[in-house]
Amino acid sequence: MNRIKKHISRVLVSFLILLPGVVHNASAQNVSVSAEMDSTVIFIGGQIDLKLQLSQPDNMELNFPLLTDTITKNIEIVRASQIDTLNKENGRYLIEQSLRITSFDSGLHYIPPIVFEEASQKLGKAIQTEPMALMVVNPFDEVDPQKGIVDIKQPMQAPFHLSELYKYLPWVLGIILLAGIVTFIILRYFGKEVPVKIFAKPAPVIPPHVKALEALDKIKQEKLWQHNRIKEYYSGVSDTLRHYIEERFEIRAMEQTTDEIMDSFKGIDFRDGKSIDNLRQILITSDLVKFAKHEPLPDENDLSMINAFFFVNQTKLEEIKSLEEEKEAMLNKENEVLNVSNSSER
Amino acid sequence: MEQSVDIKAINERIKEESSFVDLLTMEMNKVIVGQKHLVEGLLIGLLSDGHILLEGVPGLAKTLAINTLATIVDAKFSRIQFTPDLLPADLLGTMIYSQKKEEFIVKQGPIFTNFVLADEINRAPAKVQSALLEAMQERQVTIGETTYPLDEPFLVMATQNPIEQEGTYPLPEAQVDRFMLKLVLDYPKKDEEQMIIRHNLAKTFPKASTILKPEDIIRARQVVKDVYMDEKIEKYIVDITFATRYPEQYGLEKFKDMISYGASPRASISLSMASKAYAFIKRRGYVIPEDVRAICHDVLRHRIGLSYEAEANNITSEEIISEILNQVEVP
Repeated sequence: MNRIKKHISRVLVSFLILLPGVVHNASAQNVSVSAEMDSTVIFIGGQIDLKLQLSQPDNMELNFPLLTDTITKNIEIVRASQIDTLNKENGRYLIEQSLRITSFDSGLHYIPPIVFEEASQKLGKAIQTEPMALMVVNPFDEVDPQKGIVDIKQPMQAPFHLSELYKYLPWVLGIILLAGIVTFIILRYFGKEVPVKIFAKPAPVIPPHVKALEALDKIKQEKLWQHNRIKEYYSGVSDTLRHYIEERFEIRAMEQTTDEIMDSFKGIDFRDGKSIDNLRQILITSDLVKFAKHEPLPDENDLSMINAFFFVNQTKLEEIKSLEEEKEAMLNKENEVLNVSNSSER
Repeated sequence: MEQSVDIKAINERIKEESSFVDLLTMEMNKVIVGQKHLVEGLLIGLLSDGHILLEGVPGLAKTLAINTLATIVDAKFSRIQFTPDLLPADLLGTMIYSQKKEEFIVKQGPIFTNFVLADEINRAPAKVQSALLEAMQERQVTIGETTYPLDEPFLVMATQNPIEQEGTYPLPEAQVDRFMLKLVLDYPKKDEEQMIIRHNLAKTFPKASTILKPEDIIRARQVVKDVYMDEKIEKYIVDITFATRYPEQYGLEKFKDMISYGASPRASISLSMASKAYAFIKRRGYVIPEDVRAICHDVLRHRIGLSYEAEANNITSEEIISEILNQVEVP
């Protein structure tokens, strides 16, 4: 704090010395120039504007001095504005250019007079601004090597707020939507099933015993063994039962041999003990027909079909209705009874 | 109807011809305690005219098994210990000069026998292995300018020690493929080992009796060939072989990068021959899927080449075969 006070007092002294130069004019034959700074004191790296003004008769053409990077070695030009005409009255122009200046060296810097060379040549005398001074203050502590070298301070963490992400939300949603559309198109292009059903209704689940009974019915209708297609008949019956076993008991029957299937049933309790014997009869007869050219008698063929129906019916999983479904069924039944009694009374 | 009668006739014939199987097994079991898989494998090899590669640690009755089989069949038996300095002539024979006759005469090697035990085949260099495997395939040996047919039945049982792989010459894939079966022997069970101790400590070691002639085996082989194999079983065998080559076509995408090469057509032939032999042993005149599955591991385990990925993931050919059997639909 003392250091800053010291800086300010030094600046005040310099200001008093150089006061006539801060705002001043240089005039000759009705041409005058001036330079003015926003402030005479800045922090190191701070920026201020230095305004150069030229007042001249409107019948003259005078150029501003060409200042590009620096004014002195300590004072840099950050940017220079376009030359602008501020006033045009009484046959005179007031022209201005603003220079944004900075300095990275602390201390009191002298700004020499800025010479308007073209005007000087035309008028035969020096047309220039008055000298100025700029005080550059270093607000940071001086580095003391005696205290040892310390690390650079890390950047301060600004607290995170969710609202910062809101601006990205439309982009994220857009990308997700686009990815979904692209995936859908790719899946459709390669003929794959779309995993998410948006519009389609889920297909009704047909219980395995219904499928098996329908398939057995179909085989029966085709009268395969009657047309001497015994192998097809037994292949159909055994495959139907194997598919049924796979779905009903979750046994990989299609990839198992007869012995393996029978082994898989060990430990499973059936309502009717005959069911497993029936299955064994069908599978063994099927194996004989399929692999040993066995030709069973017509009775055996019928028995195999009956046993297949029996096995499916005895092992099928009964549908368990929900309470609401049962209530609805009971209400329907009552309504039907009431309707019948009403009609009979009439 | 006529076909049906044929199957019945084959069944009857097989029941008659295969009656020796029980006797042979009984005689083998008198001497060999346990190792039922080895005995069954020997029988399958013998009946389907195939050779056997045996993998197991020393002392698992490999020599005793084939020696006993030779006794039971009344056949000649040779045991050849393969060593790094063995030469093809030591195996096949050579021509030597007879001073008495003043001419070169042929001295036949130990391969001129019915049953050969090629012990530790991977210890001999490639030229000796090739000489043996060529003789196994061609069933004949050429010495000088004369070609000599080998005795029938001719069965080679080669052993490989799974440990001590240093200084060995592993059999190339093409050579391994010539073995119909590769049997992997395990240690006997506790009670079996107890029985082995008793046998060895007893004053009289049980001996097998001769109950067959080599001609009986040759005749049985003909019957085995007549065992009926349906088209469905053929397709099943082809499916299994193809699944080793193109596992992705059988829902086994995970093995696509695990298998560097699948089973050859020789594997399909061996599968069908061994299945027939197995059906014969089970005294059946036709092959069922159970027969194929029973011999599948023995026929395929040495015919599937594993990739680096498989070895890195500790996937064995046994696991691949089991998965294939679980995935390929049974007819």
